[in-house]
Amino acid sequence: MEMDELSYSSRMVNWSPLGKLFFVMALLIVGLITDSIVVPLITFTIGVALMAYSTNLKVPLILGLAILEAILIMVLGSGMISIMGDHSAPAIWEGKILWFDIYMTEESFNKAWLIFFRAVAGVTLMLAFACSTPIPHLAQAFRSLHFPSEITELIVLVYRYAFLLLEKFLVMIDAAQCRLGYNGTMTTMRSYGGAMAGTFIFSMELADKSEAALACRNYNGYFPIFRPPKSMSWAWAVVSIGLAVLLYFVGEYTKGWINMVQLFAPLFGW
Amino acid sequence: MVELFRMEDVTFAHNPSLPPVLNGFNLSIEEGSRTAILGANGAGKTTLFYTLTGVYKPQQGQVLFKGSPVEYTKEGLRNLRSDVAVVLQNPDEQIFCSLVEEDVAFGPLNLGVDRDEVEERVTKALRDVRMSEYARRPLQQLSGGQRKRVAIAGALAMHPKILIMDEPTAGLDPQASMEVMEMAERLRLSGVTVMISTHDIDIVYKWASISDVLNSGRIEFSGNSEEFYSDPERVYRCGLLTPTVFNMNLDVSFINGIDPSPYPRNCCEFTAKFSGASRSGTIHCIPAGEEDALAKYEAAIADCRDVDVGVYGSNSRYALRDSRVNFRFDAMDACFTDAVRGRDSVLIYDSVFEPLIKEQAARLKEFGFDTSLEGCR
Amino acid sequence: MSDILLQTEDVTYAYSRKGPKVLDHMSISIGKGVKTAILGSNGAGKSTLFSVLNALYKPESGVVRYKGEPLSYRHKGKIKMRSEVSILFQNPNDMVFKPYVEQDVAYGPENMKLPKDEVEARVSEALFAVGMERYRKSPIMKLSYGQRKRITLAGVLAMKPSVLIMDEPTAGLDPQMAYEVMEIAEQLHKTGVTVIMSSHDTDLTYAWADEIRVLNSAKCVYSGLPEPFYSDYSLVQKSGLLTPSVFKMNAAMADLGKCSLEPYPRTQTQMSVKIANKGRDFGTLYVIKTDKETDAGTVIENEGLKGLHTGLYGMSARIARNSFGFDADFLYNGPENCTMKCLSGTDSVLICDPLMLDKAVSSANFINDNGYGKIDIKVI
Repeated sequence: MEMDELSYSSRMVNWSPLGKLFFVMALLIVGLITDSIVVPLITFTIGVALMAYSTNLKVPLILGLAILEAILIMVLGSGMISIMGDHSAPAIWEGKILWFDIYMTEESFNKAWLIFFRAVAGVTLMLAFACSTPIPHLAQAFRSLHFPSEITELIVLVYRYAFLLLEKFLVMIDAAQCRLGYNGTMTTMRSYGGAMAGTFIFSMELADKSEAALACRNYNGYFPIFRPPKSMSWAWAVVSIGLAVLLYFVGEYTKGWINMVQLFAPLFGW
Repeated sequence: MVELFRMEDVTFAHNPSLPPVLNGFNLSIEEGSRTAILGANGAGKTTLFYTLTGVYKPQQGQVLFKGSPVEYTKEGLRNLRSDVAVVLQNPDEQIFCSLVEEDVAFGPLNLGVDRDEVEERVTKALRDVRMSEYARRPLQQLSGGQRKRVAIAGALAMHPKILIMDEPTAGLDPQASMEVMEMAERLRLSGVTVMISTHDIDIVYKWASISDVLNSGRIEFSGNSEEFYSDPERVYRCGLLTPTVFNMNLDVSFINGIDPSPYPRNCCEFTAKFSGASRSGTIHCIPAGEEDALAKYEAAIADCRDVDVGVYGSNSRYALRDSRVNFRFDAMDACFTDAVRGRDSVLIYDSVFEPLIKEQAARLKEFGFDTSLEGCR
Repeated sequence: MSDILLQTEDVTYAYSRKGPKVLDHMSISIGKGVKTAILGSNGAGKSTLFSVLNALYKPESGVVRYKGEPLSYRHKGKIKMRSEVSILFQNPNDMVFKPYVEQDVAYGPENMKLPKDEVEARVSEALFAVGMERYRKSPIMKLSYGQRKRITLAGVLAMKPSVLIMDEPTAGLDPQMAYEVMEIAEQLHKTGVTVIMSSHDTDLTYAWADEIRVLNSAKCVYSGLPEPFYSDYSLVQKSGLLTPSVFKMNAAMADLGKCSLEPYPRTQTQMSVKIANKGRDFGTLYVIKTDKETDAGTVIENEGLKGLHTGLYGMSARIARNSFGFDADFLYNGPENCTMKCLSGTDSVLICDPLMLDKAVSSANFINDNGYGKIDIKVI
């Protein structure tokens, strides 16, 4: 399923792409500059809510897998941070697993959680943006920001062809079955290799043919947009900056409200 | 007759080390004509089309458009392409945008057409190919035949003077093929010059009286189709076949000892020639448009109850989509065949096709058959 | 009555849960050794049906049976089935796996774990059957669409399946190549392979198929001989199809009393004689049974048939031609062309694979048996 298909069927597709981007970036930044864990928790909730609204709770499998994978990486990363505490502070857990020296302090544990939520909030917000903004709209947004057009067009073309080639690859994988391409491990590997080679060849030919076909339609080097998305209005800027400032103050106020160590203490007997 | 395109001694190779794909090529296309380009795969048809739209520049020879040589500058090419549109064989190689209407708008927007006008053109083009409901759908959801129609809409939206279609019926089911040929005819009748390349010898034999045959990069034959098909060795050398009707005509004429000429091109003409029928059934011709076709249909069948009804033209066909129609496709041939069989029929058609009806009746006269047409001015 | 080889019982399939059903309680059966053509407009479900028959897709409900047993969707079961049932996709670019022709044709047999020399032999034979032996060492990228289509056909032939399913095998091919593909389909049939084909080329399939199955909107609306289907014009139209031209003309002529409706002609020559004056003596059709070892050129000389138009038909005839170097005028659609020559009063020679003899003289027999004229058939 193509990403664009998802974004075109999103409820947020007609919102201004630049506006959405601005909003998301503002929330991300404020999450990074405050030390309170409450702020990322709030932005994370906003991210999830937006994603739910955008996809109408019908999350495609591949997106779900991508999110889970990101979360897994973050868990590992935060985990690493939590066990590399400052040796000058008292440890709540000390030990050794395999060749890892574990020194977990109250500070490192809290910090790990903070970073985890910042990261997860970041992922959900960016995904909410990505699933509701088709690539042509994004390209248009970049163009209006006077990004170099070559880069924008390159992004668009790479994106389009990546999906096309992926689709081709999947078709060939299927076709391999009919010629007994999975009859044994070596054979299976050869089939995957062959499918990749075939896709590569296909991509070269497609490039040739597309060049000519685009020229027939007087391609000028960029994809003109037929229904331009809404441009960013002042409302977006006001709401984004206002919310960011509000959250900043919330962050300052709630510093140290939630101590993750205290929450987990009964569980680990600290 | 205004000459739209003229290619003089054109030679083109993709690469200096490779043999030329077009070799000393000469071609002349008149405005308002039907041109059929025949040739085996690899004979150079696609290269020819790209040369006509200025994508390929010949190394030797020149391409003249409306009398002046093609200018390979940005401005010159834009002018050329606002008059020449190509629909390629495989729509997937030609469709680039995610949504249907975006893709149809791609051509005109690239030509610098004003945005409001582009919107109008897109709407009309989609209506012409009967894809209006799919305007905001992503292209992946469409089937191959639907994508082909979108590609045609994309070319129509460029408002070309000449529309070139590379294998327009390839991969389409028989009815969709008929629809495409009908559309080509409608375009021609509204002033667009149409050029089609195809392998479907039978379909093209019905459509065009003059064929240009490509063989290894040059035009091997240009002229009357019958003359070409009468030389089977040459047909064979060009990788083609003779049409079914043509073969049958030759066989039966020989066995019966009569002249193969005049050559029948479709079922009704063949039947007229060999059945010796003389009494014609009446064809009630009813020109119509999308709005009044249904009403006229109901009036017609109220009068004649047991009669075959044929519909020709996408507007009338759409209007009568839920009605009982005997010949929904290829109706002209079917109704005329009915007439030869002595049966009456009703033919409801988009008014733009009236000249075709007169043309068919005139051709039947050559076979000694007088068709009884009613309601045809 | 032949056994049922492949069948679907009440099979339903949709691409996505809430999506439209592409196959809706479809029950189709294919007889062993019966040449079956699957017809239907675009989107009727033909390609999906093939994918279901080949266990690429598992139906939501219903059973697919091969040789009476339900298909096994387990890895080993699928492999076993696919070594007997092969499918040829419409777009050759979806099926090509290796950069060079030789490698790609060998892909299938190699996967079947056959010994090297067996693979070599099969590759040669398959390339020969499709007329691409000259391109053995070519990179596939340099080939045209039609040539690639032939390569993929060779790839499937090299696997020597018992059932071959072809999805639009003639789409996009030159007219001559289309006839060659039909010849291969006929040859396969004669060697015992059950061939199932879907095609939009109404005339070609009408001349070839024994039976047809018509799909419309995810259901099978007709199953059986072609003639009763085409006689029901409204059903034909509703299914998005058109009648073959020969059938149309036969009906029109019969209506006007120029000939009887039956026997139904399937090819041009058969139709021509039906409406021409009857009882003439036409030319003689000499059929030379040519196997791989026969030098038909010498036979022609010896029999004093030099100078007549010659047609080629069948695999062994083509192999012999390659070995001995004799030539033929009609390299495609041999039988019809030779019969046409006879109709025009001259004799002709058909260099024919012994296996294909019946089909080769079928038109001539049609003419003789129904009293439309006389073509002397002399088999050498």
